[in-house]
Amino acid sequence: MLIFDQCIESIAYLATLLTNGLIMGIIYALMALGLTLIFSVLGIVNFSHGELYMLGGFAAFFLLDTFEGLNPILAIIFAGIVTFVIGAVFERIFLRPMHEGKVQRTGEYAILVTFGFAFFLQYLTVATIGPFPFKASRFLDMVIKPLFGVITVFQTRVVAAAIALVLIAILLWFIQRTWTGRGLRAVSQDKDAAAVTGINPLRMNNFAFGLGAALAGMSGAVLVQVFSWTFNVGIPAASKSYVVIVLGGMGSIPGALLGGLIVGAVESLGTGCFPDPSRGLAYQSAFGLVIFALVLLIRPQGLFGRKL
Amino acid sequence: MHRKILWALAITAVALLAGACTTPTPETIVEQVVVTEIVEVEGETTVVEVEVTAVPGRCAPMDHAGLEKIQIGATAPLSAPGSVTGGNVMQVAFSIAEDEINTAGGVLGLPINIILNDTEGLPERGTAVMERMITQDCVVAVVGEYHSAVGLTMKEVASKYHVPTVFAETYNDNITADMHPEVFRIAPTSTFTAEMDAKWLSEVGDYNGDGETFIVIVAENTGYGTGQVEKADKAFPEFGLTHETFFADLPTLDFAPIVARINALDTTPDAILIKVTGETSYNLQQQLYEGGIDISETIVVANQVALNDDEFWQNVPDGNFAVIPRIGPWTSSVSGPGADFVEAYRARVGRFPEAYAFEAYDSLHLMADAINRAGSLDPDAIIAALESANFEGAAGTITFPYGIDNPPEAAGVPNYLWHQWPDVPLLFLQYTESGQSSDDLTVIWPAEYRTSDGAIIRP
Repeated sequence: MLIFDQCIESIAYLATLLTNGLIMGIIYALMALGLTLIFSVLGIVNFSHGELYMLGGFAAFFLLDTFEGLNPILAIIFAGIVTFVIGAVFERIFLRPMHEGKVQRTGEYAILVTFGFAFFLQYLTVATIGPFPFKASRFLDMVIKPLFGVITVFQTRVVAAAIALVLIAILLWFIQRTWTGRGLRAVSQDKDAAAVTGINPLRMNNFAFGLGAALAGMSGAVLVQVFSWTFNVGIPAASKSYVVIVLGGMGSIPGALLGGLIVGAVESLGTGCFPDPSRGLAYQSAFGLVIFALVLLIRPQGLFGRKL
Repeated sequence: MHRKILWALAITAVALLAGACTTPTPETIVEQVVVTEIVEVEGETTVVEVEVTAVPGRCAPMDHAGLEKIQIGATAPLSAPGSVTGGNVMQVAFSIAEDEINTAGGVLGLPINIILNDTEGLPERGTAVMERMITQDCVVAVVGEYHSAVGLTMKEVASKYHVPTVFAETYNDNITADMHPEVFRIAPTSTFTAEMDAKWLSEVGDYNGDGETFIVIVAENTGYGTGQVEKADKAFPEFGLTHETFFADLPTLDFAPIVARINALDTTPDAILIKVTGETSYNLQQQLYEGGIDISETIVVANQVALNDDEFWQNVPDGNFAVIPRIGPWTSSVSGPGADFVEAYRARVGRFPEAYAFEAYDSLHLMADAINRAGSLDPDAIIAALESANFEGAAGTITFPYGIDNPPEAAGVPNYLWHQWPDVPLLFLQYTESGQSSDDLTVIWPAEYRTSDGAIIRP
């Protein structure tokens, strides 16, 4: 048997897998958006993205834990502000010299400095918070009945995906409709031309890194009610985000959205339909990577990337 | 000149052939050496010669005369991908034991110094830290470790350098089944825990009344998880249980497809056994409930981390009526040295010690006791002392009935019982109220410790 028989015989089973996969895909997309934004403007891959996501979750958790009954939206905004400030300060101190021509071999420098920052944040968290798992209470205390009576969905994920969609919509509006958003797009296309029109690329770099960090932090804040939260929770999230943005096209926001949905759906269907029940879950990440490899072979720039 | 070169070549060829034909050098080279000791007896100085064993590369002293302290190695996972939670708990337990031993006068009259190494849960790292501790830090013995996969590589290094080692929380049968003289274990074996599951589940029987006792196991893809499944594959059919297994890589966050798969099974499972450690087990368990597993038809058997009640209820808010296996004593059965340890541990951590805390604590005390009884740092003497141990530990009276003097084969028992403590306390506990303190958990198995009316409490 090449496929688990329920995937052929039961539409309800297949629909359950697909629905839950797409819900996870929306969450993956939110995680990946910050990463792709930073890449498109600064031209670097931020290897501390997962740790900023982790910090955002902890910021929201501790705020909600301290002020019982606080609206979770405020906690998400708080997480965004905290991680924005951390990201902007980091960019100003460690990445700005790279763009001012004070650093040689900028590619290697960016990898090393963001990796170093990731380890610093991880071990700082272990030292201050400890290695123990935390989890916020459900943001909404409601029961979601199976869709159409047969498709079981996870309440906390549905809430997280709904918030993620709102955040994605706000980001798209900001990027498309505001002056700063247009400035970011201009710098991502051509720094020198943007500077000629009065946009300060260094300031945009700083803002983009802060905004990317805030997106990572807010996605962590959204998910701290879904998954148990530890100092290393960002590692799998970041690796998933790298797959999503390469699949969608480095630096492309629509690409990150579509990439997230594809990875979520493929992982869910792959795990649920793999013929050997004992191994399906063990290969979960591999299913996404197979699609990733195929896209790289057929279309190396990704789905929405600029041609290499 | 040419003749000389030909002779040299011929001699070299003969030497190479002779070398190739001799028996290969064994991996472990144990040679007898003579050490001169100066012994003072009532003011008289006597020079005596003592034969002891030495292993090349190992730098630990054979005798404690002239030493300022005795170095004992310890290992635990303190970084990811290892179970950092488990490693930190073990670190606290080692620290309590070290303080107690030194306050009580140390070992052989000398203070002990614990050299704790982080294995990160990685087998290759386990090998590296063992090599370093033995060849550079000069440890006389090693205790601890949490992950079976790491223990499996560490035991080979212990054997290579002839260093007595007591494993604390490594379940894989093969750790002791290879019958290395140096290797001891106070954790249960995978076979013990698989049989524990099978015995209890067969006592519970057909929980959902569908005419079959069907179990689902979700196991992590590690030495621990695969070892557990391997033993369950053998033990479950013997007890009339059918089962299906799902493996997961660590750290998996999203278990939704597997929950869907369990829901789609032809037979509703009577129990789902979570053989996944750390926070991943919390993610899995909560997702089982959120994904529609009905606890009136299926018992969810959590990982033992669920005994950390505050953490458990925060991470698994729907976890009421979960059953938890407990290795080691529980509040209702702890006494003697165990009660003192519980008090010391509560003072530092604020909760009842986890199984691996008991094991880490006992492993160090046991080793200290063995060195004291051996009267020297000679590994053979320490191994002999461990074999004859009748040690009153925090988790119970530790003994090793099968070893050099009583090999498993001669005794008609499986090889994994070599240097294995056979009486590890194994219990099943159950939460019966949401938010309940783990101190108030009901003991549902075995019958001699039971505080409930039966082998399971239904919602």
